[in-house]
Amino acid sequence: MTTIDITLPSKKFKRKTTIFSITAIVVTVACIYIGFNPFAIFSEFHFMRDLLAEMFPPNYETLTENSSTGYAILQTLSMAFLGTVYGGIIAIILAFLAASNTMPYKPVRMVVQGIVSLVRVMPTLVVVLIFVIAVGPGAFAGMLTLVFTIIGTFGRLFVDVIENAENSPGEAIYSVGASRLQVLRYSIFPQILPSLIASLLYSFDVSMRSAISLGIFGGGGIGFKFQLAKSVLHYKDMTAYISIIIVLVIATEKVSDYFRRRILGEGKLS
Amino acid sequence: MNPRKYSLKRYRKFILPLIALAAVAEGAAIVCGATFDKLFTGLVNGFSFLGHMFPPDWTAFSEMIVPALQSILLAFLGTIFGTILSVFFAMLAASNISHKWVRNTVRFLIGFERSVPEIVILLLFIAAYGLGPMAGIVALSLGCIGMIGKLLADTIEELDSVMMESIESVGANKWQIINFGVLPQIMPSLISFTLFRFEINIRLSVLLGAVGAGGIGYELEYSFNMLQYHRAMTAVIIIMVMVFGIERLTATIREKIAGEGALR
Repeated sequence: MTTIDITLPSKKFKRKTTIFSITAIVVTVACIYIGFNPFAIFSEFHFMRDLLAEMFPPNYETLTENSSTGYAILQTLSMAFLGTVYGGIIAIILAFLAASNTMPYKPVRMVVQGIVSLVRVMPTLVVVLIFVIAVGPGAFAGMLTLVFTIIGTFGRLFVDVIENAENSPGEAIYSVGASRLQVLRYSIFPQILPSLIASLLYSFDVSMRSAISLGIFGGGGIGFKFQLAKSVLHYKDMTAYISIIIVLVIATEKVSDYFRRRILGEGKLS
Repeated sequence: MNPRKYSLKRYRKFILPLIALAAVAEGAAIVCGATFDKLFTGLVNGFSFLGHMFPPDWTAFSEMIVPALQSILLAFLGTIFGTILSVFFAMLAASNISHKWVRNTVRFLIGFERSVPEIVILLLFIAAYGLGPMAGIVALSLGCIGMIGKLLADTIEELDSVMMESIESVGANKWQIINFGVLPQIMPSLISFTLFRFEINIRLSVLLGAVGAGGIGYELEYSFNMLQYHRAMTAVIIIMVMVFGIERLTATIREKIAGEGALR
């Protein structure tokens, strides 16, 4: 008689398979519920082919014959820029008010943190719709929305940056008689400045992308042009705008990357 | 010269960039048509408008639950399919797994995808396949590639090559190297990127819903267009609760995983 070794699957393997199969079942059920068939993308690819045939070649003449394109690009850029600058300034001020090592009063910290969290969970869509009603459609509404989003995203990040600053230099100058403001100016501020500027450069990159999406909801700029071309079904113009958007986003990304690397690499900005 | 005096020379490094910044900001403000009196009238208008939105219309609450669930499912499916796609792309884009030419091409594709906003992808897919959740899911999945794919490819390239080499030296083929040498090592970062992207996708799914992917974003846009502001307020509250809840959920999962150590 021969003995047969039965190797039971290991505990780890069992756990892995359980997780995998539960995920697979959930995904399948969700797909069926929502009516999404991943294979339809390929089985009905002729729709995509028709669209691409309509889209190419891109009609670049629409950019030159219509002088407002350059202005739209400029608008998108300045929306992103202003959003970053003002949003960054407000976020820094709020962060100083919300960090435990710069704001000694707990109630103030709680209130400011509450405001930042509220701004954070406020959906962008609501903000842009409200601002479009408040100041009218156009680049200004988009810019205010960007200010709002950047406060939400970077307010909390800056709080962490400030709270992570080294305490000892501040204590040292405090012990020889510096005031609280002087501690801020000479101890905390020089420490956090490089990382603040780096995050703001990154946020310029991010708000560039959101500026384009906001244009579609009436925020003005190149996104609005794109939406216009799309709604009148000028697909060839649309391709031209898409290529401009891609170039713009890549260019801002490269520029902000370059400056960020310079600032963080040298690390002496004080 | 008294060194303690505040001279321009000492602050030159600050003042000059600040002046340049202010000048550019002023120019940008002119282009945007941003003025302070416009801001104040706008704020007054905005607050009085917010007053119109209160109180929220709680009778619409029950009809908003299903769209909210749809939005969450949209983000969930987009994240799952996007993660699968991006793992695939990240493998191809890592120099220690794939060939140099493949790597550069795939890196270019990932960078290309990163620069196209999700909403543009969505509009293209809506133009091709029509309105519906499908276009939304595809847009969100493709959006994942740009972020998770790039981060994951960087993580793979930074991996310690000893493990992979030792597996290869005992005769493993490419698939076995990936399965036993690479995947277990990148799993923790993969999960954290996925959770992070899920949060982004929840926000995006609301935005994309308004353009035509359905869900709670569509309800919100519809209520705004129909001037039913009380109904819109209900949708706003549901969205805020949804975003906040998902944020807490991912934070909890992240803590749990960090507590358990490396998840395999």
